[in-house]
Amino acid sequence: MAIVSVKDVSKTYTLGKTEVPALRGVSLDVEQGEFLSIAGPSGSGKTTLLNLVGCVDTPSAGTVLVDGQDTAALSERALTDLRLRRIGFIFQSFNLVQVLSVFQNVEFPLLLQGGLTKKERADRVLGLLEAVGIHSYARHRPSELSGGQRQRVAVARALVSRPKLVLADEPTANLDSQTGANIIDLMRDMNRKDGTTFIFSTHDPKVMSHASAIVRIADGQVAAREGARGGAGAPA
Amino acid sequence: MSARRDAIRVLLRIALRNLRASPVRTTILGSIILVGALVVVVGTSLLDSIDRGLRTSIQGSLGGHLQVYAASSEGSLELYGGLRGESLLDPIEDFSKVKAVIEKVPNVRQVVPMGIDQAMVATGNVFDIALERLRADARRLEAGERGEELQRAWEAHKAHVRRMVGLLRGEIEQALAIVDPDSQEGRDRAPDFEALQRASTDAFWEGFDRDRYGNLELLENRIAPLAMDNAFTFLRYVGTDVDAFFEAFPLAEVVEGERIPTGQRGILVGKQYAEEWLKLKNARRLDQIKDARDRRGRRIAKDEELQRWVKDNGNGIKEILLQLDPIQAEVAAARLREGLGAPAGEPLEALLRRLFASTDETFDRDYRVFYGGLAPLLRLYMINVGETITVKAPTKSGYFNSINLKVYGFLQFRGIERSGIAGMMSVMDLMSFRQLYGYVTAEKAEEIRRLKASMGAPEVKREDAEAALFGAPAPLVAESKAEAIDERALVAGAGQKRAAAEAAAARVYPREEIEHGEILNAAIILKSPARLRQSLHDVQAAVDAAKLGLKVIDWQAASGIVGQFVTLMRIVLFTALLIFFSVALVIINNAMVMATLQRVKEIGTMRAIGAQRRFVVVMLLVEITTVGLLFGLGGAVLGGGVVWAIRAFGGIPATTDVLYFVFAGPSLLPTMGGLAVGLSLAIVLAVSVLSALYPAVIALKVAPVEAMATDD
Repeated sequence: MAIVSVKDVSKTYTLGKTEVPALRGVSLDVEQGEFLSIAGPSGSGKTTLLNLVGCVDTPSAGTVLVDGQDTAALSERALTDLRLRRIGFIFQSFNLVQVLSVFQNVEFPLLLQGGLTKKERADRVLGLLEAVGIHSYARHRPSELSGGQRQRVAVARALVSRPKLVLADEPTANLDSQTGANIIDLMRDMNRKDGTTFIFSTHDPKVMSHASAIVRIADGQVAAREGARGGAGAPA
Repeated sequence: MSARRDAIRVLLRIALRNLRASPVRTTILGSIILVGALVVVVGTSLLDSIDRGLRTSIQGSLGGHLQVYAASSEGSLELYGGLRGESLLDPIEDFSKVKAVIEKVPNVRQVVPMGIDQAMVATGNVFDIALERLRADARRLEAGERGEELQRAWEAHKAHVRRMVGLLRGEIEQALAIVDPDSQEGRDRAPDFEALQRASTDAFWEGFDRDRYGNLELLENRIAPLAMDNAFTFLRYVGTDVDAFFEAFPLAEVVEGERIPTGQRGILVGKQYAEEWLKLKNARRLDQIKDARDRRGRRIAKDEELQRWVKDNGNGIKEILLQLDPIQAEVAAARLREGLGAPAGEPLEALLRRLFASTDETFDRDYRVFYGGLAPLLRLYMINVGETITVKAPTKSGYFNSINLKVYGFLQFRGIERSGIAGMMSVMDLMSFRQLYGYVTAEKAEEIRRLKASMGAPEVKREDAEAALFGAPAPLVAESKAEAIDERALVAGAGQKRAAAEAAAARVYPREEIEHGEILNAAIILKSPARLRQSLHDVQAAVDAAKLGLKVIDWQAASGIVGQFVTLMRIVLFTALLIFFSVALVIINNAMVMATLQRVKEIGTMRAIGAQRRFVVVMLLVEITTVGLLFGLGGAVLGGGVVWAIRAFGGIPATTDVLYFVFAGPSLLPTMGGLAVGLSLAIVLAVSVLSALYPAVIALKVAPVEAMATDD
């Protein structure tokens, strides 16, 4: 079953008196375990599509199903809960809580979820920090880290609650190309290891090349879908 | 559960770190909260202490715990006098009934009858005193006593009176020049002026010894009243059952003399009243200067008021000179010369000038010389313990009534001795109060009966009054009598007056007679003052059930304006605090709004990764209440320090009479109550939470999509 199912979705923003269509009748299915890149020029509607899939925005028309649930039918609380338990986010500008340490930033979603003991949380956080290669910075503040290191923390945070789906909006835009490539490799590793579905947007062709599938968007519509369908990153 | 605890811990951690991340903002908000908490703690501690002081003063001096008075009264009861003078109270006809009903109410320990009013007191004057001395000499001479000492005193006292007559004539002649001799007043006073003329002739004094008593009568009855002009002062008194009064108000004590014996008539004059109104002005001013120097550290050289007092003392020398007869004047001059180290031969007036021209260097010596050498020769108070005074007051029906009362002692209230509010009060027996106030006492009724009998007036019943006056020509006077009027008997001399007063003073009234009669109000002392509210209702219910028509109020209401002092101060403090915290609210709110707007992205991120709205709001509240609690506690601790410091430095001095009464002592020693701290924290928290509300609304509106916004 598709983890994400987008059907005939339109999204129109109102800017003053004019209506700006961002998406015009997009349909897209993403299978469990995919490592999907959404590509397209600025203003093509990549971010809007990700926001809809990430349940931080709702469509003007059409339906978005995430893990089988229609986001338009859910309450604000339920949407928040869906984000907390099913989705991980990686942001373009990392969005770490500045006043918390690396460890605490990663632990944060677990505290919101509840249900784990302190030890369980610590094990999981340290395990992930080890996996993304920054366990020695656990006590540091985000401001003491480089951009690449920060994005590794963000990846760890997105994965710590073991979500089915991780969304990343231009995760490499604020990084140099080498670091950006490393981050994409890291995400790809995680995708292979745990079968977590990744959807990330980018306009960088080098980054795109790492994806198992690419959805090209132009003028609010899906222009093309390249690459294999299904769990490209699923364990063989 | 542990996860929830950990979530709270992470909230606190975020709050504290956010606060630390912007130290300037935190310091500003913190200082505002700190100052607010400090003012609340210090202010309420001071007010609570003042409240306690006032309670002590009022309950211990006059108020008791509850007061009752006639509900039909035009005015309300104001124990210490209101803006319009004494309270206009209807009398309570029979105190014994009231007492019987109220004493049955549980928690009531004692009911004390009262009647508060003002009266005029004839204080006598130096003329009277000089004549008194002359009469004492005359009595000894008439009794056949002889001796050089007595003769010398007699001559000295005569010279003294003669000099005063001369001075009086000088003054009266000035008045005569203004008064129209044909006017009513001119005609009325003509005989007195003639007597004065006669008493100032040489012939009068040369022939004085031929009719000592006759001439003394002339001086006492004709001349002395001319000098009486300013010899009245007003006295505030409470007429009461004296024994019950002292039992009910343990702060009351007699400082000189003794209590009025049980059931007898008499008066205890307020000590502070005596100091202020009855003491020789120069002595009083010396006391005031000493007090200002010793207790307040004021200095004559630097203080205009003290300089004025010194100057006034220079002008008051005449009053002292008038008091001294030639023999005393010689003694005084000798003592002053020695005490002040003045050259031999310096006359008394110059010596007095030297004595009273005090500077900071000489004051302590001057004070010692005055009280050690001069004061024993002077009459320091216009009323002395043991004397009989004439008290005069308008009755309810408008005419003046006067009675003679023995002064048994001076009265003061322990702890608030110097208070002009409690210390002004004199205590009088209830029988004398009723007479002054114009009630018909059993004694008076008897006197009226005797008068009617002696004049032959028939008894006219109320229902027959109209007929008697306007109906049949029945003779109103059954049998008219013609009798020669004995003028001497009508104008009783001072001696006879005293004898009559002494006879009245010696009479012992039984308790029943004291209690069966009119009063104006009654103080109720409770066994347990903590249950004051309940007892107030109980007493009111009891007097209502007995249909006594009484109103019951608590001590605070009964004390009138004085009692409202604390309430007024509280209103002032709370208004000030309200303004302060309103401003604080706006400032804190603004700062928090700014902080929230700066954190929109962070809040959006939290919401995006799964934080509910509640979490975000709680985060803000935790942050601001953390500031509130930390700095609020800091302010409270600092406030405690201020309160402690005030105590350590001797408290806040009571610089005026009112403050003395309000503080129940010479200074206010505040104590910090737990309530003050609790209140300050409650207010600070309330303000914090209120000021976080609008920022919380902003935070609520932050959509998770904000997290997606790019930095630029």
